[in-house]
Amino acid sequence: MNLQELILSLSHFWSEHGCVVQQAYDIEVGAGTMHPETFLRVLGPEPYRVAYVQPSRRPADARFGENPFRFGKHLQMQVILKPSPDDVQELYLASLAALGIDPAVHDVRFEEDNWESPTLGAWGVGWQVLLDGMEITQFTYFQQAGGIELRPISAEITYGLERIAMFLQRKDNGFEMTWGGGLAYGKIRHQDEVELSRYAFDVADVEMLRRHFEDWEREAGRCLEQPEPLVIPGLEAALKMSHLFNLMDARGAVAVTERVALIGRVRKIAVRCAKAYVEQRERLEFPLGRCNGNGKPNGKGPGANRTGGNGGAR
Amino acid sequence: MSAAEYLLELLCEEIPANALPAAREQLRAGFEAELREAALAEATVRTYSTVRRLVVHVAGLPEAQPDREEEVTGPSVKSAFAADGAPTPAAIGFAKGQGVSVDALRVVKGAKGEVIAATKLLPGRPLPDVLAEISVRVVRALHFPKTMRWGKGEHVFVRPLHNLLAVIGKRTFTTQVPVELFGVAASTATFGHRTMTPARIELSGAAGFDAYRERLRVAGVDIDPAGRRAVLEEAARRLAADVGCEIRPDPELLAELVELVEHPGVLRGAIAERFLQLPEEVLVTTLRHHQKCLVLTREGRVAPYFLAVCDRAGDPQGLIQRGNEWVAGARLTDAAFFFAQDRKAPLASRRAALGKVLVHQKLGTFARKAELVAELAAALAGSAGAAVDAGALARACELAKADLVTAMVGEFAELQGVIGGIYARLDGEPAAVWQAVYDQYTPAGLEGGLPRGPVAAVVGVADRLDTLAGLFAAGEIPSGSKDPFALRRAALAVVRICAEAPLACDLRAAVAEAVALRGGDGGAAAALVEFVRERVRHYLTAAAGVKPEVADAVLAARWGVVPDDVARARALEAVRGEEVFASLAVAFKRVRNMVGKSGEGRFAGALLKEKAERELLAALEKAEKEVERSLGRGGHEAGLRSLAALAAPLDAFFTDVLVICDDEAVKAARLALLARVEKLFLRLADVSRLSAQ
Repeated sequence: MNLQELILSLSHFWSEHGCVVQQAYDIEVGAGTMHPETFLRVLGPEPYRVAYVQPSRRPADARFGENPFRFGKHLQMQVILKPSPDDVQELYLASLAALGIDPAVHDVRFEEDNWESPTLGAWGVGWQVLLDGMEITQFTYFQQAGGIELRPISAEITYGLERIAMFLQRKDNGFEMTWGGGLAYGKIRHQDEVELSRYAFDVADVEMLRRHFEDWEREAGRCLEQPEPLVIPGLEAALKMSHLFNLMDARGAVAVTERVALIGRVRKIAVRCAKAYVEQRERLEFPLGRCNGNGKPNGKGPGANRTGGNGGAR
Repeated sequence: MSAAEYLLELLCEEIPANALPAAREQLRAGFEAELREAALAEATVRTYSTVRRLVVHVAGLPEAQPDREEEVTGPSVKSAFAADGAPTPAAIGFAKGQGVSVDALRVVKGAKGEVIAATKLLPGRPLPDVLAEISVRVVRALHFPKTMRWGKGEHVFVRPLHNLLAVIGKRTFTTQVPVELFGVAASTATFGHRTMTPARIELSGAAGFDAYRERLRVAGVDIDPAGRRAVLEEAARRLAADVGCEIRPDPELLAELVELVEHPGVLRGAIAERFLQLPEEVLVTTLRHHQKCLVLTREGRVAPYFLAVCDRAGDPQGLIQRGNEWVAGARLTDAAFFFAQDRKAPLASRRAALGKVLVHQKLGTFARKAELVAELAAALAGSAGAAVDAGALARACELAKADLVTAMVGEFAELQGVIGGIYARLDGEPAAVWQAVYDQYTPAGLEGGLPRGPVAAVVGVADRLDTLAGLFAAGEIPSGSKDPFALRRAALAVVRICAEAPLACDLRAAVAEAVALRGGDGGAAAALVEFVRERVRHYLTAAAGVKPEVADAVLAARWGVVPDDVARARALEAVRGEEVFASLAVAFKRVRNMVGKSGEGRFAGALLKEKAERELLAALEKAEKEVERSLGRGGHEAGLRSLAALAAPLDAFFTDVLVICDDEAVKAARLALLARVEKLFLRLADVSRLSAQ
């Protein structure tokens, strides 16, 4: 199975299970969690199910395209199920079956791996999923986001797409894995990796990055100080700050002492956005409804997960 | 009477391996305490677990809870009975409330005087009700390192609970116990292994716990960690022997692997021969850290195989083995990449980057640390009395932290030091240098081996003393349970290296030097000296096998040169049982009191005319020579016995001679004599500490 078939299969699977199939966010992010479809939607009482592929940028992980397993930009398939259904592990296993991975002949294990994002004021409890010893998924029950205790709880399933594709194709080198259209991943992406590495490690203008970090911090403040706070523009500003920080960090321009302070400044904005979002949804009287008593998405009886998980008006 | 048994099983999503041993223990202790409280103490409790299950089995339960008596106290005697002894309405009301007759009331002593009391009969309740309540209380009281919410978020537990099995019966399970936990009501059934045999397993009518265990075994689940461990060990040994290998012992990892599965499956995978060219430490860390694999060895060298657990029986299509081999290969390729990248430049070339890396907010960079450690190490080497190659020492200090900016340490933090040592060796640095880099983090407190050779020992001590001094100077002093930088362990390692390497440097002077280099004040130095002294005391009692009062006696005399402190302590521990030491302790206590109160005086042998003082002086001069000679050849026990020879002359002196006399000059001479005695004793130990304890 090539990379794009993998994406199509997972998208199809989660679409069948009531997810909105969203698109990647159009701002650089370090992980699919930062996409407002995760970071904001997990807040408050409204049920939601969403799946999307998010190119995730980790400038410090870039390796000039020389390391067969490391990428400065990689693809995550992100799934949010809110509230987490009782059969979430079974659903996940079924999604593997949809990729041709039959749990009857493989070893699938859930090993403790908790997740924390100081930048987003978020943490969760969960596992890394190992398939025959290979870590293919991060599985998290979100407990807190933007400094807010969550209730209901969302399950987040993050598939590392390159890893899974390499595994399925038994390729030792990520750049040799087949993407689709008859082309290997490296033919499509290798030059980006080289250039993004050079930019992140050698070229990026630290003074400019620092200046923009401060500009966006101010801009975020302006957005959130509006009489009706602008949540999405505020969060977008925070995402830009986060990426600028990651670039400065990769460039070796962040001292240890400064690091905590800079992350704290991004978190402060993220926390304000989260609070403003919850207030905004409350003002709007929670347009997607509230999770009802049976822990299932709103407005549907048992078994509704398969067809219309999100319920409510859309 | 045939006994009943109770079975409780919580089937959850995968529970963290590190939480399971403690959970089993808490369940056992919790049930035992509750059963005692419920007058069911004769029952026996056993607990089991898998990665998805917590299991409690209570055997030897009576048919029903026995009746119990409880004493309830009521109003005071004064208000309960009128002057003529007739019960007042208060007494009558109390008796009625407790369901006893007024005649049955007794008088007991309460905290505020005499009160009336009733013995109330608590009739035994049906066992299922009692056990249901106990189960809820014990499970809710479980403490986990981390808990979570799920779904609607109403419940908190280690992981979501899916099924609750709670049954009781004699010979066969007949009755469901009405437990409800985290929104799940108990049933009489459970489920098998998630992927192998997920079907429902009905336990109603099953022949007790053994039948439960057997049915789960058939369904691919072994609930007993000890059983899984035995199977894993046996299978692992066989798989290793098949390829002529042995398992590299790793009890810590094995214990974890046992907790990670429901079914104890293990398989062998092969790695490409080319990976054997990687340093063994890198190979082992990669397989162990990332993949939780057991490593195989052949004739003491790592062999191109590993063992991995899997949570299932067999590998029908060989996919699991191939998958694990692919992952191990991928990880090792990754490690080989880091290794090759790091090896492009010599370790020494990375020193420049240390100027950008902070040790700690208040301690500056690693480059600065390297300079301070080098200076301190040179001073230590000078006073250590061991032959330390100054050139190698300086080089080792330069290189010690350079591996912190390598790709390998970025990936595997636990290889710090080790990988620097390997790189230094490959760069052609002399053994004394690369070993000092390699061994710089060992030992951790009392755990782990010693650094190899005197250069490594000095570097190990200097590096830790510098960290201690820097943090003490910055006010980061451990208190109570707060020791975020593990400074106690660091100081204990310093003491242990000095004691066992050995290094005969004066630790007190070294501490003063280290604190001065870090710009700390006298307060910081005093605090650190005291902190290190406590670790010396701990080392003496925990590692050198002496009693606390012996450690105190030795350290009260003097301390700082740790090998000497240890030798004196061991000697005193060995001889203290001899009879003469009891009276010596008493006599020396008098000496110390006298000198402490009245001062040292001025020695004038000619003024000492009394027989007892002449004899004491003669004995003292003899003892002084003997002690000198004994200590010169490390004969601390002999030295102590020479002191013991002063016991009788001291006793005679205190009996016959009045120290505080009218003649000031004589008095001064006598005090001075005692001060000389004191001085001699304190070369070995303040034996007065052994008296009256």
